[in-house]
Amino acid sequence: MRLNDCDPGFKHQVAAEPGGEGIRVCFGCAACSARCPVGANRPEYDPRRIIRAALLGRREEVLASPLIWLCSSCYTCGEVCPQGVRFTDVLTAIKNIAARAGHAPPSARITAELLAKQGRLLEVTEFENDKRAELGLPPVEQRPHDFQSILGLEPPPEGGEGEGA
Amino acid sequence: MPARVSLIWQEAPGLSGLDPAQVALAAGVELDDGGLVEAAVVTVAQERAPRGLQERLAGLPVSWLDLAAEIGGGGDAHRLARAATAVARAAGRAAKGTLPPVYAPQPAQSVLVAGAGLGALAAAWEAAALGHPVTLATPFGDAATPGADDDPQAVGLMAAQLPAQVELATECELIGLAGSAGGFSARLMGPQGESSQGFGAVFLAPPGELAPGCEIHGLNPELCVLASKLDPEDWQGPEDAWLHAAVLAGSAQAAPSYSFAAALEAALALAKRPRVQVSLFYTEARVAVPGAERLFRDCRAAGVLPMRVEPGGLEVRGGHTLAWFDPLLGEEITLEPAVAVMAEQSGAPRPAWLDNELTVKPWDLLVPENPRLAGGKTSRSGLYILGSLRGTAPGAPRRAEAAAATADMHARLTGRVVPMPAVRDQLCARCLSCVRACPHGVPQFVGFGIACSPAGCVACGICAAECPAEAIAPPGWGQPEMLAALEAALAVAPEPKMVLFACGQSGMPAASALSASGHQWPAGLVIFPLVCAGRTSQVLVTRALELGAKGVLTAGCHPGNCRSISGNLVAAAKLEMVQGMLAELGLDPEAVSFLPLASNQTRELAQAVEALAVKAEEA
Amino acid sequence: MNPAEIDTPVLIIGGGVAGLSAAVELSRRGLASTVVEREAAPGGRAGEFCCKAVAACARCGACRLGDLLAEAAARPEITLHTAALVTSAEQKDGLWTVELSPQPAGDDAPGPGAPLGERCSLTTGAVILAVGGQVFDPAGKSRFAHGRVEGVHSALELEAMLAMGAIGPGAMAPAKVAFIQCVGSRDAAGGRPWCSRVCCGYALRMARVIRHRLPETEVTFFHMDVQDYGRAWEEELPSLKEDIRFVRAMPGEVTAGEQGPRVVFAGPEGAPVSEGFDLVILSVGIGPPNGAGSLHELFGAAPDQDGFLAEEGPDGLFVAGAAAGPRSLNESITHAGLAASRAAARVGALLEAARG
Ligand SMILES: Cc1cc2nc3c(=O)[nH]c(=O)nc-3n(C[C@H](O)[C@H](O)[C@H](O)COP(=O)(O)OP(=O)(O)OC[C@H]3O[C@@H](n4cnc5c(N)ncnc54)[C@H](O)[C@@H]3O)c2cc1C
Ligand code: SF4
Ligand code: SF4
Ligand code: SF4
Ligand code: SF4
Repeated sequence: MRLNDCDPGFKHQVAAEPGGEGIRVCFGCAACSARCPVGANRPEYDPRRIIRAALLGRREEVLASPLIWLCSSCYTCGEVCPQGVRFTDVLTAIKNIAARAGHAPPSARITAELLAKQGRLLEVTEFENDKRAELGLPPVEQRPHDFQSILGLEPPPEGGEGEGA
Repeated sequence: MPARVSLIWQEAPGLSGLDPAQVALAAGVELDDGGLVEAAVVTVAQERAPRGLQERLAGLPVSWLDLAAEIGGGGDAHRLARAATAVARAAGRAAKGTLPPVYAPQPAQSVLVAGAGLGALAAAWEAAALGHPVTLATPFGDAATPGADDDPQAVGLMAAQLPAQVELATECELIGLAGSAGGFSARLMGPQGESSQGFGAVFLAPPGELAPGCEIHGLNPELCVLASKLDPEDWQGPEDAWLHAAVLAGSAQAAPSYSFAAALEAALALAKRPRVQVSLFYTEARVAVPGAERLFRDCRAAGVLPMRVEPGGLEVRGGHTLAWFDPLLGEEITLEPAVAVMAEQSGAPRPAWLDNELTVKPWDLLVPENPRLAGGKTSRSGLYILGSLRGTAPGAPRRAEAAAATADMHARLTGRVVPMPAVRDQLCARCLSCVRACPHGVPQFVGFGIACSPAGCVACGICAAECPAEAIAPPGWGQPEMLAALEAALAVAPEPKMVLFACGQSGMPAASALSASGHQWPAGLVIFPLVCAGRTSQVLVTRALELGAKGVLTAGCHPGNCRSISGNLVAAAKLEMVQGMLAELGLDPEAVSFLPLASNQTRELAQAVEALAVKAEEA
Repeated sequence: MNPAEIDTPVLIIGGGVAGLSAAVELSRRGLASTVVEREAAPGGRAGEFCCKAVAACARCGACRLGDLLAEAAARPEITLHTAALVTSAEQKDGLWTVELSPQPAGDDAPGPGAPLGERCSLTTGAVILAVGGQVFDPAGKSRFAHGRVEGVHSALELEAMLAMGAIGPGAMAPAKVAFIQCVGSRDAAGGRPWCSRVCCGYALRMARVIRHRLPETEVTFFHMDVQDYGRAWEEELPSLKEDIRFVRAMPGEVTAGEQGPRVVFAGPEGAPVSEGFDLVILSVGIGPPNGAGSLHELFGAAPDQDGFLAEEGPDGLFVAGAAAGPRSLNESITHAGLAASRAAARVGALLEAARG
């Protein structure tokens, strides 16, 4: 790999995203990798390696990598990082950039679509609300609009489907 | 015209019965009539001379003779002849005026600082503050010129503060040195030519030079900039692209922390320039100086990429491409930098005369890595080597080193604790064993005999252990005294008798600490204190065995921790010889042994003595 | 100012190697001083360290404490109060007036000096703060399981075990020992963004002692970078790397295994690996002195950006040794020499001014 061909601006771009601020101070100590539960099951998933590739400016490779979508957001890595990198948030920043560049995998697309449509991942049906009523709990409403307005999505056309994020 | 030499006769016990006039007559010198003389022979050891006499003779070439010790027993006629011979020889030496300052009756108080830069100025300042006349011999035209590795501002400030009693010798270099504390003679080369001068102590602090700490062979020199020469303003990326800079901070071999920190400064300055991407190459991130870890983090936050490579793992291709393996990504990375900044390490060339003139003590013995020589000390008493030449990091550590060295100097020249060794001239065989053996450069061959500098001795007794003629010993550590003490102690020790020769820097403090904590020593153990383990000799050890000791243990410092550099090694070697001898005689060689020890190893000492006692019981 | 008001030219707070060295250096310069030590015996940290010599001296500096204690005891210009604490300090007309109060001392503590009998107040020309740094408490990194999993010890505890001979042939003989470096150092997230400077060295020296005593024992050194200690050290590193297993990874945690502690770290492939050891040693770092806050208040000594005592304080106040930042013993001793020189110059100037 030729470093001259990489994109030094990529790490600054990640750092400019909310949550991505910490990426540049990583010094590769591997504490995060030691504790990552995903890495324990999928050896090719290594937080430190993802940061390294991003720092070196391998933009396309990082954004297109399926690995960045494996993070379980458990925040364990951030807990142990001596530099306060908060890898989970850094990865969120990277994922946002990736999604904007059209790299979101189908699973993420579906998740986003569900969120936009329902305001939550689970669809709330009669079944749930009946159970809640039995327990004396108020019913839960399907309120996609709050979510849509937070995300700044066009309100869906009447009766139409929500757009994917 | 022959010099006027005077014999100054002091009463001392050994002289009783001898007529001073007769001695003077036989020796051909006049008795002191209180007038001015050009040289003097005094028949008493310097340390016993009254202060008034010392003052009167200050600055004169004086031969201090302890006739009492020299002439010893025998009939009066015999003693007279010996006394006269000794006086005549000493007077001849004094009259010739060939006596170097090592003969000075009092340690000279003047100090030479040869060098430039922060360490040199700090030493000059400190020595002057302690009241010593100081000569600052600088290779430069003024005192304010810094070494290449100094902060020029700090040096300028320090130079401006130099007190008036510092005499500045500009464009002047030290080219030769003999003697030791209290009595150095230094050869200086200045604009007026060569001169010779006496000093009590010498600080050698040549100005530092900077050299690339990690040369990458084959990199096009046009790409390379030294970290200290870097002007970050020279660099910025083109409108629409990045400019790549490589900072080589110990990529062939790990750099010391101060050098790594300077490289970090350079990297940060470059990274702050528009569209400059800095890659920092190193084998170890050396962040052990104050603030460096913060700086390292600031560098990364500014976009500097840390590139750790294996030692020697950074390759140069075609003069302009760097190539290395990234273990994490599992692949090779290449970079064609627009500029390569080289970290630098400070150093100073070792003056050639140092090796020539102090040949008895080559560099590794002069400045070994020994914790006891911290703070600028060398094994030669009164000679301090500071700063770049010693490898001390620039900045604050040099300031502290100069302070520690000057305090040591001051203590040595003013608060003399150890009198200089007595040399019994008529026993001396001129074999120069002592000159070679003394780690501190105290005995010197001068004229036709051995002379000792007045403030250099630490009483380690290594000279006495080495001298085949029993002609030299620091007061109290002569062979007869020691044998008598050993005999007396062993005579009253119950069986099984054992001897622990305990070095004053390790074995003895450990033994004292054990005793103070109520440790029960075996009844038959004689603890024989030595100043340094180097004072043990075959004679002493075998005598202990002859006197009935079943075991002998010498507890001295660990190799590399001996205040006299090799006293411990000398002792261990001697014990080994005794072991060989015992084996030849069919005796148990293990009856004698050397125990390397530190003063805090009380448990180890107690165990070793216990083992000795078990063996002695069996024997 | 009237020189007759001075009870002691220089007052030194803390009787570790730095404080003792300052006193000895002052006495070499012909100045008397008073050392105030909080504990029942002087010596500070150095008294807890064992000798690390194997074939030769490892230059750890621990035995220099013995020299300093002996020299301090032999010099009449040095007064040493143990079991004493500073309760107030005030500066007026260039002089400090410091109040001391006795602390409970154990029964006859070893070493030179005597416990302070009663409250007293001393007027002095200069104060040297040599209170040392505070060792990081490994409980602050709970994921390394100190005090929770048997077999996990701090480096100071290992020092004690080695000094007592608790590890070696005929005593405890662990088959596998791990050192974890930078515990409480190089930790910006934990508010400790400095390298403690001494721990790479002390850990490797202790590792070598273990290997020497127990040649069968395997020692692993988990680290990020190895720091420097002069030219001889650089020469020794390659042989150390053959003798000891160097793993460049900051472990994520220490867990309890059936046989003993387990270290979880990123293996060569990047994925977590859990490996069992008999002993896990946490190389704890040095932080700002205990009670630095009250020293700031008492003497107006400004903290530096990391909370250590800044060397530049009010007139007549000097800081020496690890209190001013992580330092080795040898460095603390030399550093104290400089503080002594500055204090001596200050007292000299005061006396000069008083003479007119
Ligand atoms: C685990 C560990 C291992 C180390 N190993 C090494 C090593 O192998 N080699 C090495 O060179 N360095 C080593 N160091 C560093 C070494 O401990 C320090 O450099 C050294 O102790 C500093 O000396 P000091 O006198 O400044 O402080 P200290 O030794 O800490 O002494 C300070 C003294 O001040 C006293 N004191 C504190 N507060 C007050 C107060 N308010 N009033 C009165 N007295 C007070 C304390 O009781 C103590 O006696 C190690 C450090 C640690 C933590
Ligand atoms: S723990 Fe932090 S500093 Fe260490 S590799 Fe992970 S992100 Fe980087
Ligand atoms: S006793 Fe030691 S220091 Fe003194 S002259 Fe003899 S060898 Fe040198
Ligand atoms: S410096 Fe350390 S290793 Fe060397 S002898 Fe002293 S205590 Fe032992
Ligand atoms: S000296 Fe070594 S172990 Fe200690 S903080 Fe620095 S790098 Fe970490």
